[in-house]
Amino acid sequence: MVIQYKCPNCGSDMAFDAESGKLSCPNCGRQDNIETFPEENIERKLDPEEAKEYHCENCGAVILTEAETTATHCSFCGAPVVLADRLTGDLAPAKVIPFTISKEEAVAAFREWTKNGRLTPRGFMSGDRIKKMTGMYVPFWLYDIDGTAEVAAIGTRVRNYQRGDTIYTETDFYDVYRAIDLSYLKVPADASEKMDDELMDKLEPYDYRELKDFRMPYLAGFLAEKYDYDDEALFSRVESKIVPYIDSYIHTTISGYSTVSYTNKQIQANKKNVYYTLFPVWMVYYDFENKEHTFAMNGQTGKVVGKPPISGGKVAAWFTGIAASTFVALKAVAYAMGGVLW
Amino acid sequence: MSSAKRQTFFLFFMLFFMMLTGGVAVSAADQHIYDQADLLTEAEESELEALAAEYSQQHESDFLFLTTPSTDGVPVMTYMGDFFDGWAVENGQEDAVLLTIDMGSREVFLAGFGTAETTLDNSRVDMVLDRIMPYMRIGDYGGAFRETVTTASRYMEFRPGANPESIFFKTWFQLAVSLVLGGVIVGSMVLNAGGRVTTTSRTYFDGNNTRVTSERDRFRNKTVTRRRIPKKNNSGGGFGGGGMTGGGRSFSGGGRGF
Repeated sequence: MVIQYKCPNCGSDMAFDAESGKLSCPNCGRQDNIETFPEENIERKLDPEEAKEYHCENCGAVILTEAETTATHCSFCGAPVVLADRLTGDLAPAKVIPFTISKEEAVAAFREWTKNGRLTPRGFMSGDRIKKMTGMYVPFWLYDIDGTAEVAAIGTRVRNYQRGDTIYTETDFYDVYRAIDLSYLKVPADASEKMDDELMDKLEPYDYRELKDFRMPYLAGFLAEKYDYDDEALFSRVESKIVPYIDSYIHTTISGYSTVSYTNKQIQANKKNVYYTLFPVWMVYYDFENKEHTFAMNGQTGKVVGKPPISGGKVAAWFTGIAASTFVALKAVAYAMGGVLW
Repeated sequence: MSSAKRQTFFLFFMLFFMMLTGGVAVSAADQHIYDQADLLTEAEESELEALAAEYSQQHESDFLFLTTPSTDGVPVMTYMGDFFDGWAVENGQEDAVLLTIDMGSREVFLAGFGTAETTLDNSRVDMVLDRIMPYMRIGDYGGAFRETVTTASRYMEFRPGANPESIFFKTWFQLAVSLVLGGVIVGSMVLNAGGRVTTTSRTYFDGNNTRVTSERDRFRNKTVTRRRIPKKNNSGGGFGGGGMTGGGRSFSGGGRGF
């Protein structure tokens, strides 16, 4: 099933506008609330051979998509289309964070970011090198995690004192036991095979106050994908993500000791709730010296991640500058204190 | 005649006598080496004399070397004080560093007079002594003086009170700190060029439902270890500190047996 949102004024195809958070018409500028958009203007077209092919409502062209795509543009006439059957049933997202950064803002923010690259080559910052910018809803699983931890440890308290010409070191050993109820809310893990896990982890955190119940119109005008991995498959990844958090929490519950060595540590984490959620990501494809660099921008907060090219000359210059100025500063302090330079 | 003057007179006489018998052909004003115990060869003596003269000029305080076969029962500190009272009057110079070796009691004493009393204070004297004791033990007295002149003059450049051997003043240390700091900062810049992880253990933490349900801290046992504080051990035993000469000149100093 292909869905297109027709403008109640002029009949053009409407797309989601990140700045206003509404459906907006590129032709006449009309804006409509997603919750109140008139049902009769939603064009649904059931395709007989739906699983294989989608046809654009406007021009009839076949919509070419990958199997994971859930929202795209008609490659022929450019109309934003949402592939509804890939978003229903098991595949229906529960939540969505809509884009709050529009394409223009994203371009400007990315330009700003490249200027801050203190180690990137000179030419990287200047010039119009953004080849393509794609707004994409990336599928994530959000896990509410419930767990328990049970730890046993030996803690020591060390005291030093002096009697006469002898130093006494007194070490008290304690048996420490803690049982802890744990809870972590909405820990995300990206469910798309295409997306680099490390890149996606660095895009966090998202502001969950903007988390909305999923509605299809949010996707109009953007690309969207469905998940490749289900919530069972990704749970181990989320577990490995929160274990360091749990460890650091456990550590805060055992205080007042000089040293703590764990003799037994058992952590059990269970998922209480999972939410299939779409997060907004601007993908930036950037040309530099005949190589394409891929960056990702958090479509809600504007945080940019990705591996920029590093200029060896700039690294050397920074290193020399910092080392030399530190050396001069140390010499100056040494001169002030000792009255001697060498 | 006061006792100080009498001693001065005695010293004058002795020096004069020495110069005649020893055939030392330098004028008293330019002389820094007074090798009464004859510990140095002629060549060594002239080389050290040149060294002392050079450094003395730089610091405007004289580096003096006095050796004696015996102090006739007088403590080495008193002996060198008497010597310096005489020398100071004779040369009209109050600023000096004096290394005295008494072969009779096998003691060495280093003193700083005038400006050198502050630029070469007791703790710096002690550090110089630490460095010359190896020479003393193997009988290289010329080497001991050479070390005294170079080390003391280096120390005297430092502001009074500063520890000249502090690692903070070492160029290699300052260089190492600079390089490490540069490496750490630039290294973290390179690592963070692709964006940093900004989530923390608190980002997804649910404080309302995370709690310690049961805790126990039970004392088990106790161990006590004892360690004796090692006594500061100067081989051969140190003595001295500063003092006042018979002629009323105060000085910093310190001595050791060897």
